[in-house]
Amino acid sequence: MFAMTSSKNLNVTLLFLFVFVLAAFNADFTITTLDPIHELKSFFGGIFEIELSKTPTYFDAILNTISIAIIAIFISSILGFIFALYFKYTLLRTSLAFMRAIHELFWALLFLQIFGLNTMTALLAIIIPYSATLGKVYAEILEEYDVFPKELELKNSSKVSTFLYTKLPDAMPHLISYTFYRFECALKSTAILGFVGLTTLGYYLQGSFMQGFYGEVWLILIIFYLIIATLKYWFTKYSAPFLLLASFLYVDGFGGFNLENLIRFVTYDIIPSPMKKEQGFYELYVWFENIFLNELMVGIVNTIVLTQLALIITALIALFSFPLISKKFVNKSSIFGGNIILVILRSTPEYILAYLFLQIWGPSMLPAVVALSLHNGAIIGHIMGNQSNELVLRPDVTTKKIELYSFEVIPRIYGSFLAFLFYRWEVIMRESAILGILGIHTLGFFVDSAIADIRLDKVVILLLFTALLNILVDYISRRVRAYLRINTTVKSSCDII
Amino acid sequence: MTIQIDNETISYKDKPILDNISLSIHEGEKVALLGKSGSGKSTLLKRLYELHPQNCSYIPQELGLVNSLSVFHNVYISNLDKYSTFYNIRNLIKPAQKQIDIIHPILDELYMSDLIFKKCGELSGGQKQRTAIARAILQENKILLADEPISALDEFVTKKVLKSMVNTFDTIICALHNVDVALEYYDRVIGIKDGKIVLDKKCEDITTSDTQELYHVCDDQF
Repeated sequence: MFAMTSSKNLNVTLLFLFVFVLAAFNADFTITTLDPIHELKSFFGGIFEIELSKTPTYFDAILNTISIAIIAIFISSILGFIFALYFKYTLLRTSLAFMRAIHELFWALLFLQIFGLNTMTALLAIIIPYSATLGKVYAEILEEYDVFPKELELKNSSKVSTFLYTKLPDAMPHLISYTFYRFECALKSTAILGFVGLTTLGYYLQGSFMQGFYGEVWLILIIFYLIIATLKYWFTKYSAPFLLLASFLYVDGFGGFNLENLIRFVTYDIIPSPMKKEQGFYELYVWFENIFLNELMVGIVNTIVLTQLALIITALIALFSFPLISKKFVNKSSIFGGNIILVILRSTPEYILAYLFLQIWGPSMLPAVVALSLHNGAIIGHIMGNQSNELVLRPDVTTKKIELYSFEVIPRIYGSFLAFLFYRWEVIMRESAILGILGIHTLGFFVDSAIADIRLDKVVILLLFTALLNILVDYISRRVRAYLRINTTVKSSCDII
Repeated sequence: MTIQIDNETISYKDKPILDNISLSIHEGEKVALLGKSGSGKSTLLKRLYELHPQNCSYIPQELGLVNSLSVFHNVYISNLDKYSTFYNIRNLIKPAQKQIDIIHPILDELYMSDLIFKKCGELSGGQKQRTAIARAILQENKILLADEPISALDEFVTKKVLKSMVNTFDTIICALHNVDVALEYYDRVIGIKDGKIVLDKKCEDITTSDTQELYHVCDDQF
């Protein structure tokens, strides 16, 4: 049995390594900046130029980021709950899969065209993918805790009463704790929205980056880490209602909702241009063929190449980094240091890391692969480290570290390592697509260009294929996990799903 | 009314759980089903409940309690169909005094009234069983079908609980594996082994050799 599973593990590992080699031959790793070492030096030199007195400059952005994230997670959790109740309907499940598969930055870019730069756009960009994710996970939780015997259900009591008394109570604590985990993600996503012009922390981060004010960059990053690190102290089930109320009072109203623009968007903007001009089917075909050959194919291939490269390097980073925080391999002070490195890499959204490396190396696959792999590798490395700490080995186990690693620890946690990696696969792909906005020719690049050209019909086609690609990867990931029999549910952390 | 099944056979994966069982239980009878685990008692009880869901209270072996709700709410669950949804929700948020007044005496009978607002997840096995019994009592049915409802109770509490069950329900069919308790508190015992009825007698007619047979039927070592 074990031999069989492990040979399956080997099959999957070899297949993905093969794809990795193919991808590596097709990737462009050129460094285009003139003096990358100098850029790197001045970035890290920025640590010594931090001016704490500048902190008040960012108060508004901090409060705006937090308020938007709180309102967004509140509305998402209500919508998600409603979605969860009707999750058995295929149409709803498919719609939610699409809503999830499109990155919040893409949603933001889309809503910018309709509502402009305002709170409304930011909220919708977060709420659409988050409510879909919450809906799916809520449905899974409700199903898992639906253990009340069917034969004890009273025939004449209302569905609502039965649900509230026999199904909801046991699921409720899990629904709430997952929502709190998800809030951390919402906070990161909201900060990132600043990169497309909404006035959250990312907006100032990008501004300081572009001007080379690395002291400011560091200050904003540190503020960001502090907000995330202290989250569990200030965002609790007791403070949440007050924070929610304060957030509604803080954000600049919900102006910007423009029904006319929305109607125009749905009924005119996204209609393929040959149809707007009332041309025939042939013109429509040529229009699509052009997009397909020149943009979609290039975008899809590059997105896949970047995803597969990042997936394997993520795996390598995880495999090599977890001993740094495992008491089976290193002493306490090394664990402390290892944890700091992994926490920083985990907490920094891949988009910010990619932006940083892009400043240093210029646009190519290199900064994107490094950013995605460091971030995701740190997440998986952290979980593996914790797992290895929990392993109970016999007292006379070898003291040689390499032997311990390869004969005792890895064989025991390799299965769950693959599970985490495949859970992360879809996330990596979604991020790979979005990093195109930074100039790498993945799908996001073409979406961004089409938006700049105000060709929204093309944007919609590109996003549709981006979503389909993601749904496909999600499907393959589920099949692979089923093949490896590692389909355990992982709901303990927002990092994973 | 009489509970009756004729030539009932229930199989799982080609293995019969109930093997051609016929049984008739009259109104007012207190019947103990004796047998070791896996003998078919639970399947028989579940089947009897399926045939008469309207006038039976049923306590499954896993009890079916909602761990995150209080004892009060778990007992109140059997009254959900008697009140409006609005009232049920209000009672979920803040228990109505009227309902507390109804449920408190039932729990008191079972030595559970001091635990009325404790969450079921925090109770011991015996306390959980008594909560499920209270839930069955509140339903005010004439017939009780219970699957090992007192296995985790100590002797003193067992007596008290059995008495209140006997006083509340007209007819009782209860799975047990304690032969002495069955003979003391019930009118009739049915011994089940491998899905077949091996003994079915009124308690007053039980002989010493019958008792030996019942001990044998209930002993997990055989």
